[in-house]
Amino acid sequence: MNLLSVEGLTKHYPRFTLENINFGLAQGRIMGLIGANGAGKSTTLKSILNLVRPDNGKVEIFGLDFMQNEDICKQNIGVVLGEIDFYKQKKIHAITDVTKRFYNEWDEAAYQKYLKAFSLDPQKRVVELSSGMKVKYMLALALSHNAKLLILDEPTSGLDPISRDDLLGLFHQLVQGGERSILFSTHIISDLEKCADDITYIKDGKLLKSAEKSVFIDSFQYLKEAGEDGLLSLEEIMIRSERKGSYDI
Amino acid sequence: MTSKLLYKELRLAAHPNLFVFTFLGFLVIVPAYPYSMVFIFGCIAICATFMYGRETNDIYYTTLLPVKKRDVVKAKFLLVLAVQMVQILVSLPFAVLRVFVLPDGNPAGIEANVAFYGFGFIIYGLFNLVFMTQFFKTAHKAGKAFLLALIPAIPVVFAMEALVHFPQFAWLDSITGEEMLRQLPILIAGIVTYPIFTLIAYRISLRRFDMVDL
Repeated sequence: MNLLSVEGLTKHYPRFTLENINFGLAQGRIMGLIGANGAGKSTTLKSILNLVRPDNGKVEIFGLDFMQNEDICKQNIGVVLGEIDFYKQKKIHAITDVTKRFYNEWDEAAYQKYLKAFSLDPQKRVVELSSGMKVKYMLALALSHNAKLLILDEPTSGLDPISRDDLLGLFHQLVQGGERSILFSTHIISDLEKCADDITYIKDGKLLKSAEKSVFIDSFQYLKEAGEDGLLSLEEIMIRSERKGSYDI
Repeated sequence: MTSKLLYKELRLAAHPNLFVFTFLGFLVIVPAYPYSMVFIFGCIAICATFMYGRETNDIYYTTLLPVKKRDVVKAKFLLVLAVQMVQILVSLPFAVLRVFVLPDGNPAGIEANVAFYGFGFIIYGLFNLVFMTQFFKTAHKAGKAFLLALIPAIPVVFAMEALVHFPQFAWLDSITGEEMLRQLPILIAGIVTYPIFTLIAYRISLRRFDMVDL
């Protein structure tokens, strides 16, 4: 069963169009959303969540039409769109105290566990947190209400290598039960190699490919040049697909 | 949901001066003062809080909560209604008290009488109609929305403060029972127009915010 299905998602801007994005995320899977800067990864995630109003397309979460069941769907979604960038002068505990009231299945024990695991001090103000800690706080909020689907926009950027590795390990643990799924955008390709089951690749606002990781890698082997042995890595696939020439300064 | 949204607005979205300005309803006990300023302070406080919300990315946060996108608009209207009603309620005991402690009246402008509250409701209704609908076009241009909202609100402020200085409108400045009865249509006009304007503003704001990309 697909926890998330996106069909024909389209959003027009004056100088950019996200065009006809289709993909599905099955239960118990981790999907990496990749693409160069400005390719439309964040617009895709924001359109899925109705933060950006799509011009066309349908988003179903847990089999429900998201636009018609926004509040019900969001109860079961954990969202991290980069680091926390709101209420910079507020203390963490004040933001949590308000946020938790909105979730029917808020798990205070899980929240406390994540605070401890991420070394977050609830008495600190948002402005006092480092970039990595800001992401970790958003993750703690997203993981503390029994979300079945996690939608994460570049959750690993800003994290040190140890935290990143720990987080990818946590992703694995979260989907192990087979109930949860994770969709996360990144341009840190090694993250995908470590933990993604499926890859969705967006280029210039268009879907290039969405498939299981090994199928995805196989389908891009035509980019190999004469004399090259072995499979092209995800990084090579992306570089060769995107390269338009070096900077001419 | 309503109480959660209002709690969120008061705890995270409201600028501290919103609380201070809301309690400026007590200004109607100042001996000589243009009492219409009470309502202007109310409008300024709301604008300041919306500007503060822009700096704190408040609307973005609310949209991420497990609520419908339209609840973001609902939350802001709840806050505005709460501020305006509390401010009027705060001023009422002082308006009664001043009759006893300052029997000579207010030489600066209108008395805190029935007409005063009628004009107040009209000012707030007009303010909501323009400010909220303009703000939710973009969900960030609070300053422009405020200036546009002053266009219909300020003439009412000038009217209530200036008319009482003309002898034929002296009844507007009275606190006698008989003449306050004569002022009653203004209060009724305010009580009728305020919810109508606010409801229209709410509907338009919902439609506009639905189209906003965050």
